[in-house]
Amino acid sequence: MSELTTSKPLGGGAPARLSPTVGKPAGAGRPAKRKSLTRKQTRAGWFLLTPALLHSTIFISIPTVAAIVLSMTDYSFTGEWQWVGFANFVELMGDQNFKTAFINTVVYAVVVVPISMGLALLIALGLNQKIRGLSFFRTAFYIPTVTATVAVASVWLWMYNPGSGLGNGILSLFGIGPQGWLTNPDMALGSVMVVGVWQGLGAKMIIYLAALQGVSRELIEAADLDGANSWQIFRHVKWPALAPAQFFVLVTAIVSTFQVFDLVYVMTQGGPGIATNVLVLDIYNNAFQSLRLGYASAETVIMILLISVFIYVGRKLQGSDKSE
Amino acid sequence: MKKRFLKTLALTAGLALTLGACGSGGTGSSPAGAKDDPATATGTIRVMIPTYPLSNDGKAEFQKVVDAFNKKYPKMTVEPDFVTYNNMNEKISTSIASGQGYDVLVTGVGWIQPFAAKKVFKDLGAVGVTTDTITKDTVEALVPTVTYNGKVYGYPMIADARAVALRKSAFVEAGLDPNKPPTTMAELKAAAEKLTKRDASGKITRPGFDFNAAAGAYRQAYITFLGSAGTPLYKDGKPNFNNEKGISTLNWMKSMVNNVEPFGYQNAAQKPLVLTNEAAMGFVKGAVDCSDKGIGQKNCDDLSYFLLDDGAKSEFVGGDIAAIGATTKHTDAAWAFIQALSTPEASNAQAKLNQKIPASNSPAAQEQAQSNPLSKFVSENLNHAVFEGGAANWLEVRNSFNSGFDEALLGKRSAEEVLTSLAAQSK
Repeated sequence: MSELTTSKPLGGGAPARLSPTVGKPAGAGRPAKRKSLTRKQTRAGWFLLTPALLHSTIFISIPTVAAIVLSMTDYSFTGEWQWVGFANFVELMGDQNFKTAFINTVVYAVVVVPISMGLALLIALGLNQKIRGLSFFRTAFYIPTVTATVAVASVWLWMYNPGSGLGNGILSLFGIGPQGWLTNPDMALGSVMVVGVWQGLGAKMIIYLAALQGVSRELIEAADLDGANSWQIFRHVKWPALAPAQFFVLVTAIVSTFQVFDLVYVMTQGGPGIATNVLVLDIYNNAFQSLRLGYASAETVIMILLISVFIYVGRKLQGSDKSE
Repeated sequence: MKKRFLKTLALTAGLALTLGACGSGGTGSSPAGAKDDPATATGTIRVMIPTYPLSNDGKAEFQKVVDAFNKKYPKMTVEPDFVTYNNMNEKISTSIASGQGYDVLVTGVGWIQPFAAKKVFKDLGAVGVTTDTITKDTVEALVPTVTYNGKVYGYPMIADARAVALRKSAFVEAGLDPNKPPTTMAELKAAAEKLTKRDASGKITRPGFDFNAAAGAYRQAYITFLGSAGTPLYKDGKPNFNNEKGISTLNWMKSMVNNVEPFGYQNAAQKPLVLTNEAAMGFVKGAVDCSDKGIGQKNCDDLSYFLLDDGAKSEFVGGDIAAIGATTKHTDAAWAFIQALSTPEASNAQAKLNQKIPASNSPAAQEQAQSNPLSKFVSENLNHAVFEGGAANWLEVRNSFNSGFDEALLGKRSAEEVLTSLAAQSK
């Protein structure tokens, strides 16, 4: 199909197309078509979005609103209930279990997120090299991610067993006495964190690895030719290219560490004492063991706010505009 | 309307909050009347039960109960929900929130009062069960475990009784007489200290006494020791532990922990250490397998059992208790199902599957109780039962007991402070 163009388009941009049949500028004849196309595209967009929107509404928005409403009641599944306003939140402020759970969760996130991200990046850098047994190592590092947390926790329970565990067995080789990995209140949270870091490495590593493999070879070669050493190539070429992956890993890591539950539930049940109590475990205990759903909902609301703050701070620290 | 609104909210929030298994399927009960003729009654009985494991043996034994029930109610179906004690409360709460309450609920000692107070369980007076019935069918000591405000809300099926075992050889080796077991707390501590073995560095290599408790699980040991001092945990629903005996008992336990056994010490199999000769004395559950598949006859012969008695004999008893859901539309059928669960044959099977003993005092139900020396011992002493629970909010404070005791035993808080706090939480 032939097309005519004006020699000097208005505004100095690309030549405006003329319709050969109508003999007037295409810009005047096509808006209707474009509008129609846009409408179709919009409809298709909404159509494709519908399942996700329905899912988000049913499983995220409604429960969130429900949790906020319930947080202002003393609902306990059975019997009478009352609106209690902010009484649950006030009570939470004096609840030692909640305070400990809050602090433990923040500490868990602050320790586990950066360590696991750092280690995962190091592993990804290693696995991005041409080394023998690459497939094996990639698989080995990813296995903890696809293994059920209960199984992982059970294995680590054995390793931490004060009597017959591998942990104390290794220490004894160096003449170090047995440790109460999960029974010493001063060590228990740290012991759980080790498992958390280990288990989260695979997922982060695979994202970093994918991002590293997406770094332009030309840029690396150019930097190499310019005399950059390995560190400079990493710092000035690879690191900036990893920004979107960093942001994704950071956000998912923050959310998952704040939601830590199954590890603690299987390994310590929040003990000894309340040394490893974390927010989700405390919410679970209040909701399903103590049957205080209103109170547990108040904790949930606080947790949502806490996660939001952490993600906001994370975005700021990372300069989220790089990923947008 | 207001209630329904909250239930809906609860259900949706439950979806958001539930992290493990929650809720249950099922179609609920059909609208058959409570006084239907058993031969023509139709509908579904929803049963929540932790008693039968999900093994082939467990399912086969449960099916026998269903078959027995169906002989009386041939047109009714039974929909079981096999739960564990860990997820039981989730199941109950989500079933209530979803409006699909169970018809029969088998729970444990300590569950009756809280759920009776919340009107989740039906007063069994509706089917003619009284405290006299419980006394006649089981033992009088179990009556408080199933009553609330003078009414009966549960029917004991099997008892999870605990005793203390000693290793005769260890006693002889330490110069102690195995025929004269220590019974008071002072005697127990003195014997345990003598029986504790350490290496050159002072590390305990064989505990003198095994609490058989992981970290966060010293609650039942405390209740046993407190009971041996003649003090039940609750008296008429009121806390009975924030007193001199309660405090001295917890302090005594503190003096034992890390002295005769490291805190939270367990073997990899989480079995009582005394049974495997890893401790000289310790708490054991209600059955021992003396066959070669179990600990073997030689090990069995080296064991002797006793109860603590520091003023009163004390045998800790948990167990499985059947109740009828308050929302059931099949009261008579639900009771018939509980009766099918409580026949001597069913009780023996349940006891065998769970290493417990039948709660029934019927001679026909004693087969499992007589099958091994430990079951025989705890069965004979069932009248010395001490148990947990008693407060209407026991399920709320139970976890606080666990964490509070850990803190007291590890010296993070004083026994008095912990017990005062727990008493304040108990309603």
